[in-house]
Amino acid sequence: MATPELGYADVNRLVLKTLSPPGRRYWLGVACLAAIVGAGFTAWMYQVRVGLGVTGLRQPVMWAFYITNFVFWVGIAHSGTLISAILFLFRTRWRTAVYRAAETMTVFAVMTAGLFPLIHLGRSWFFYWLLPYPNQRGLQPDFRSPLVWDAFAVGTYFTVSWTFLLMGLIPDVAAARDQATGWRRKFYGVMSLGWRGTDEQWRHFSMTYLLLAGLATPLVISVHSVVSWDFAMSQLPGWHSTIFAPYFVAGAIFSGCAMVLTLLIPMRRMLGLEEALTAWHFDNLAKVILGMSLVVSYAYISEAFMAWYSASPLEIETFQQRYWGPYGWLYWVMVVCNCVIPLLLFSPTIRHRLRALFVISIFINVGMWVERFVIIAGSLATNTIPSQWGVYRPSPVEVTITAAGFAWFLMWFVLFTRFLPIVSMTEVKEGIRWQRQAHRAGEEAAP
Amino acid sequence: MSDAVRVTAMFAEAEACAGAIVALRAAGLQAARVFTPFASEEVAQALGARRSPVRLWVLLGGLAGCAGGFALTIGLSALYPHRTAGMPIVSIPPFVIIAFELTILGAALSGVVGFLVHGRFGRDAPVPGYRVEFSDDRFGVVVDCAAAEVTRVAEVVRAAGATEVSHEAG
Repeated sequence: MATPELGYADVNRLVLKTLSPPGRRYWLGVACLAAIVGAGFTAWMYQVRVGLGVTGLRQPVMWAFYITNFVFWVGIAHSGTLISAILFLFRTRWRTAVYRAAETMTVFAVMTAGLFPLIHLGRSWFFYWLLPYPNQRGLQPDFRSPLVWDAFAVGTYFTVSWTFLLMGLIPDVAAARDQATGWRRKFYGVMSLGWRGTDEQWRHFSMTYLLLAGLATPLVISVHSVVSWDFAMSQLPGWHSTIFAPYFVAGAIFSGCAMVLTLLIPMRRMLGLEEALTAWHFDNLAKVILGMSLVVSYAYISEAFMAWYSASPLEIETFQQRYWGPYGWLYWVMVVCNCVIPLLLFSPTIRHRLRALFVISIFINVGMWVERFVIIAGSLATNTIPSQWGVYRPSPVEVTITAAGFAWFLMWFVLFTRFLPIVSMTEVKEGIRWQRQAHRAGEEAAP
Repeated sequence: MSDAVRVTAMFAEAEACAGAIVALRAAGLQAARVFTPFASEEVAQALGARRSPVRLWVLLGGLAGCAGGFALTIGLSALYPHRTAGMPIVSIPPFVIIAFELTILGAALSGVVGFLVHGRFGRDAPVPGYRVEFSDDRFGVVVDCAAAEVTRVAEVVRAAGATEVSHEAG
């Protein structure tokens, strides 16, 4: 069951307690993350000053760590919208306590993803060339290019994700305002926009939230499909495949749900949210991960089958290189992390052990990052001209910037957890009401 | 001196709150305002609330976004013709992707504007009858009535299950 003993007031007490002023250990953690971000920024500035030659990008592998990070973080973002929007439309009850954290993760993951194409550009200050504006050269961005679709899709996703998160926060921030003092009261007062929970406000809120969920659902599927078309629209063996859109969407949900576990399990303990985030929530999340793991495994098999069935020497050679070539070991790491280890989740005992879930989620995060790398860099390394083949090795600059990307994401998430409600109070209360109604209905039905 | 009085009744459950709204109506009285700590279908049904006009904002925003997406892609491609990969200058299938994204963007942003306009948000001004308990665990029904009717209102809401009833000059 969700939260059997909690009353409505307990929910406010539990969640608002997380907004108390944090201690030294918290700020030390934030400072460490900020230091890693600072190191990444320094590495980026060095790359800007010296040029892309400081990376390991060489012909034929001109897309590698940075684009891997972009695809990985866009994928991470997807489960947030799955949990907050798609499961909302299905009225899935276990989502109520976890969706805010997943939605927050979405926003910060998109923020992180958006940095990598800019870094990868080399001359980052020309990013605006992607925007359609009249210019003296008479050229416009090519609307037939997947890279331009990507700019529109990720930009829309970023805006709608923020909107969705901020909308959902309004009633909870109003509850925080009513209990807060000092600058926090003013801050929450501004953020709550004068919310008082009147019937009129709820009427418009419920409709807007429902419609935003309805809009976010096709959007989230379109965004990762568009990201997959960055690859699938090209002629490169290993990329040019019609299954890429569903394959990437499934992988995105898989990796995103794993990241939700990675974040929620320690957060639950650190913020004292054990009563709100129960084994029931984690069990359901683990089932979603298991389902997505099976879909992803099917995609890996399907890809291999299609390469063989096509009888195209280029496709067959690409996949042989993928399994046994210079990045072959990474492919098998990916298979173990994404297809084998998640099978443990068939066991209810493991699904109820949070430490085991945490470890499995880390393996999946690693496996999904490696999957992106194998697809992107691995396919480029063995292109259609064997004389051009080459192996990519990341430079310290790329490794530092990649680590900084993780720190950047975690820093914002950690900051959010102590300044805004990380669990939706209003939706958990709705969950309690559902439970009470179900309990009453059960009692009435009993002989 | 005005004899208008504002009666505020508190309830522990949404069902009791909804019951009070129905009972007040049966007694010829009207709830001026209802406060709930979360969205309650029972309360909305008891009030007989109409569907929010935000739907129309979303529809119009989506249509505008869609039209804008096609206008942007077709218009600029025609103004700055640049043939790539042997594709026609105006290639509708790829333009649908951009139009789709802008449809969603337009609908979402327009919906939020509609929500802010109709909900009269933006000011952190007090709302008559509001108590901090309404963002915690209580449901509230506010009735504006004449001083002579206070006792009757209190009786109706207590019979419906109010845990606390108070009144003040309205």
